[in-house]
Amino acid sequence: MLAGIARPGSVPLAWRNLVSNKSRLLRSAGGIGFAVLLMLMQLGFEQAFFESALAVIRGLDGDILLQSAHKYQFATRDPFPRADLEKARDVAGVASARALYADWFDFFWKNPIDGKIFLVRAFGFDPAAPVFSYADVNAERDKLKEPNTVLVDRRARRFLGMDSAATEAELNGTKVKIVGGFALGPDFQSDGTVIMSDRTFASLLHGPAGDPAAVDLGVIKVRDGNDPAAVQQSLRKALPGTIAVFTKPELIEFERNFQAAVSSAGPIFAMGTIVGFVVGMLISYQVTYTDLSDQLPQYATLKAMGYRTGYLLRVVFEQAAFNALAGWVPALLLSLLLYYVIGRLALLPLHMSAHVTLVSLGLTLGMCLISAAIAVRRVITADPAEVF
Amino acid sequence: MMAPFHFRPRVPLAWRILTYDKRRTGLALIGIFMAILLVFVELGFFYAVPRGGLLLYDNMRFDLLLASNEYEYQAQPGAFPLGQLGPVRSSPDVEEATPIYFGFAKWKSGEGGMWPDVFVIGFDPESHVFIPDSINRQTGVLGRADTVLVDTATRPMFGPLDTGRVVEIGDRKVTIGGQYVLGTGFMGLGVVVASAANFSRLYPQRGLDIVNLAAIQLKPGVDPDHAAEDLRKAVGPDLQVFTRKALEAHETAYWTTRTSVGIIFGSGLLISFVVGIMIVYQIVSTQVSRQLPQFATLKAIGYPDRSLAGTVSTMSLLIVIAGFVPALGAATGLYSVIRQETLLPVAMSEMRLLAVFAAAVAMALISALLSIGSLRRAAPADVF
Repeated sequence: MLAGIARPGSVPLAWRNLVSNKSRLLRSAGGIGFAVLLMLMQLGFEQAFFESALAVIRGLDGDILLQSAHKYQFATRDPFPRADLEKARDVAGVASARALYADWFDFFWKNPIDGKIFLVRAFGFDPAAPVFSYADVNAERDKLKEPNTVLVDRRARRFLGMDSAATEAELNGTKVKIVGGFALGPDFQSDGTVIMSDRTFASLLHGPAGDPAAVDLGVIKVRDGNDPAAVQQSLRKALPGTIAVFTKPELIEFERNFQAAVSSAGPIFAMGTIVGFVVGMLISYQVTYTDLSDQLPQYATLKAMGYRTGYLLRVVFEQAAFNALAGWVPALLLSLLLYYVIGRLALLPLHMSAHVTLVSLGLTLGMCLISAAIAVRRVITADPAEVF
Repeated sequence: MMAPFHFRPRVPLAWRILTYDKRRTGLALIGIFMAILLVFVELGFFYAVPRGGLLLYDNMRFDLLLASNEYEYQAQPGAFPLGQLGPVRSSPDVEEATPIYFGFAKWKSGEGGMWPDVFVIGFDPESHVFIPDSINRQTGVLGRADTVLVDTATRPMFGPLDTGRVVEIGDRKVTIGGQYVLGTGFMGLGVVVASAANFSRLYPQRGLDIVNLAAIQLKPGVDPDHAAEDLRKAVGPDLQVFTRKALEAHETAYWTTRTSVGIIFGSGLLISFVVGIMIVYQIVSTQVSRQLPQFATLKAIGYPDRSLAGTVSTMSLLIVIAGFVPALGAATGLYSVIRQETLLPVAMSEMRLLAVFAAAVAMALISALLSIGSLRRAAPADVF
């Protein structure tokens, strides 16, 4: 152990430098922390944007999903003949092929409290053949067998009044009974969601749109032990070219690409993240530069004592990394609180993920180390003779 | 203790402190520049979204807008029977009332076999209800059967938008008669305008008896507020009458309170404001601690705390103002990049300029206030 003390690395110089001036540490952690918080919020919003757009696809209880080959995004009605879904059922390896009816433009919900009318997203399925993996939907699906009964999204935007205790509302002018709820939340296109039986769905849609022979999505489960990719191939062969056959991850990717291509969310939040990074870099440069100027005599002394530049560099970089962490940790904690509050207020799926955690940590270390690298030239050139 | 904040400018001293270490001050300027730029950008988005929602109305000629009482916002306008326009047209205040039709349809000629949804606007081309010259110059084209004009901002997934191209909209073959410049806003990924006659061909079951909006032109000299008041009585409770001002307030309220837009950019705005404070504070307090012996000396020779506080505040203000000017220039440039990238109508306005300037001054003063704490501790006896 004694030998260890003699080794320069055993003196936690970077750490002592860091904590020697508490108010300065607080200041630098505050500055870097807020820049990190800015990045965390932007990264969180971007993730929430995509997550909310993908939430329904993720909630489908299937391995393979069928839809019209013309359907360019999930949130648009583009039905295909039910007969094609029947055909899929006969393909080897298919355990079940179920129908989802979906609509984004034709269901008008009357707020049971204030009577105002709003467009909502609507899903329909045969209560005996569930298509969602939401536990609350499946627990209450039997109640949907009664005509004109619906489940409502308790996390829908509040002006829809779906989170109320009301037991009755109106959809497209018809009285419907609210028999339960689920927690899905809005996305950037729909404010709220109503789930009902396929029969109720068809009867509430007037005109050709309500044709029960036209399915919006086929939800297919693969028989145990079968490879989804192989079943996908067989389905492609068995079905006409007007039907697109996606595995669930493929459809999620397809939707993600669509959202990335048409929405401004990517560039908007990327811009915010970049600004946070640059600001953080400037703050951390300021911190490191000031510290180096203040400690220059000490560094020069160390040099004069024979410590190599490599050691001094390591101290500077270690200290920059400590500064990064001192800003990142409180920012991360604060962002958890903000995610929670803003997520509740804006009904956005804002939550900390491994991805956001790692990206923000990487960016924070990056900005602190880059600025340290720029500021450190002073130490390298520190000449003991000049400093004193 | 807010007393030291009794502000007396100390420009020469503050100026000398700042110019003494040019490198450090230069960095500070870049930092504050970025922070102010960020405030501009977040504020720009915050206003761009409702502006995007108002894009169509901004490009229409009307004094009053008539809508169903189910009108929520432009993309969910509700509908009412054409017959209800009767009492409006016979009002002595009204010069003209033009019905506007909205519809969605599948554009069956997209790239890669996709059928994107297109937003179709039907109107009487002779009414000249739209402002863009590119529409009004092509009224003749709009008069041709099964011909539409397509917005230049229509996304590439709709395929080429060349004049003469025949596309399938819904179940009908339609010729692209030309393009116009207005923007798609939040109407959809692609927008076309058509004459009322062509609109009814696209939606044969709907016909022209169900209207979404009516654009009302008043006779010259008629006060819109009074006319709106009278019309409301004439049309009854099934319809709403918006003045331009009321419509703008209504749409803005929709986008900022009903969607997540307000909270997303609002929180971004708040955080960039705090980041700005942190930067200025970082700079100023470093300067204060570096000049602490000098400040202590000033104190010792009789300068009151208040005067030193004035110097610190002046330093903050100088930095912020020097950062504001280039940030304004950069924001104007960045807005035009954002306009192209996101198709959102982000633009600089005097109000925004003043608001950001006020925010920047607030940043400076708050960070000065924070730095003054350490200044007060500058006891001459301790420093030496």
